[in-house]
Amino acid sequence: MRTFEVFLKRPGKDEFRHVGSMQAPDPEMAQVLARDSYCRRGEGDQMWLVDRSDVVEVDQEVLATTTDLAHRTNDGSAVAARRKQLRAEGAS
Amino acid sequence: MTRTWSDLDDFQAFIDGGGMVEPNDDMPAPYRDEVFRFIEFHANSELMGGLTERDWIPRAPGVRLKQIFLAKTQDEIGHAHLLYQVAADMGLKTRTEMLEQLFDGRSRFHNVFHYQAVTWADQIAIAYLVDAAAFASQRAVFAECTYGPYKRVLKRIVSEEGFHMRHGEEMLLRLAEGTDTQRSMFQDALTRWWWPAVQLFGPDSDPNDPLLRWKIKSQTNETLRHAYIQKYVPLLQSYGFEIPDDNLRFDAEAEDGKGAWLTTDIDWEPLKATMRQGGPDSRRRISTAAANYADTAWVRSALEPKPVAA
Ligand SMILES: [Fe+2]
Ligand SMILES: [Fe+2]
Repeated sequence: MRTFEVFLKRPGKDEFRHVGSMQAPDPEMAQVLARDSYCRRGEGDQMWLVDRSDVVEVDQEVLATTTDLAHRTNDGSAVAARRKQLRAEGAS
Repeated sequence: MTRTWSDLDDFQAFIDGGGMVEPNDDMPAPYRDEVFRFIEFHANSELMGGLTERDWIPRAPGVRLKQIFLAKTQDEIGHAHLLYQVAADMGLKTRTEMLEQLFDGRSRFHNVFHYQAVTWADQIAIAYLVDAAAFASQRAVFAECTYGPYKRVLKRIVSEEGFHMRHGEEMLLRLAEGTDTQRSMFQDALTRWWWPAVQLFGPDSDPNDPLLRWKIKSQTNETLRHAYIQKYVPLLQSYGFEIPDDNLRFDAEAEDGKGAWLTTDIDWEPLKATMRQGGPDSRRRISTAAANYADTAWVRSALEPKPVAA
């Protein structure tokens, strides 16, 4: 038996979402079983099945490097402070 | 390197900070054990519940109700199917081990599936009261649920349980508006099923229940049970049915003048008996489930990958 991860996309603008896992002997049978397990009421109009052994889980150490890179974001506080100051001056 | 925590305090801080645990994490052993046990219990209950629904497909009156019970059976077995996958992925028992232990009478499942459904009205009482209780308790798990795979399948399970509940309400409405015989059939069923349904929530939670601390459960058993009683006592009375509780009373002063329905002290002995497989119908239920598993062996063998011919 192979284990498949099931991703379902609801009709419309939603993104694909992981909805669960299931076992099947092969990709052909997996499609039928995935429909019966995860899509009995038209919950999605597209589905991806990914063999679990093909999923690459990214190492925590690789991900960790991205958390201290403050220069990649900007919370806009400097500009907001300036606007606030201008509003205060206009009001007085 | 997988995610790991230095000790239970470190793990608790992660949980309290809104963390979600995933299968490949190096989760603390007590978390793995407790969450696994809880999911296995849930999976067993869905399977045993599905088999109850199945019993009534041939006896459901009319095509529409037969279709509803077919779909419900498929839903419940489907719930079990999803949950056994999540449980098996925790690496403590295989699906086959869980099923074999259930059919050997070594595993636990919800108290309500240890009782006999005597008439069609019992099945409606189950659809109305038991599905609603299951819905309330599952929704309370879904609300927080720190174990990712469980939360994802609960989303689907809870939404389907909502359909079951509405079917149950409609079936109750039909009986309530029916003949005197139908009404008295339902009254008898309610008398049999009220306490098992209320007891489904379990006795008061241990304040140190690790499942509360780890945010698998979002509310205590007593909170959920109390809310259920507040909702279903007036609903059932509005249909003209009587709750089988001589001490039931509405205390207008309770809860800062909001008022509350107070019941007699609950006797938990029947619930404890079901947890030892000593309920009125435990033996038959388990042997029916085991027989069904044996009957369907051909499906499992048909699904085994076949060697490719040279
Ligand atoms: Fe269910
Ligand atoms: Fe249900």
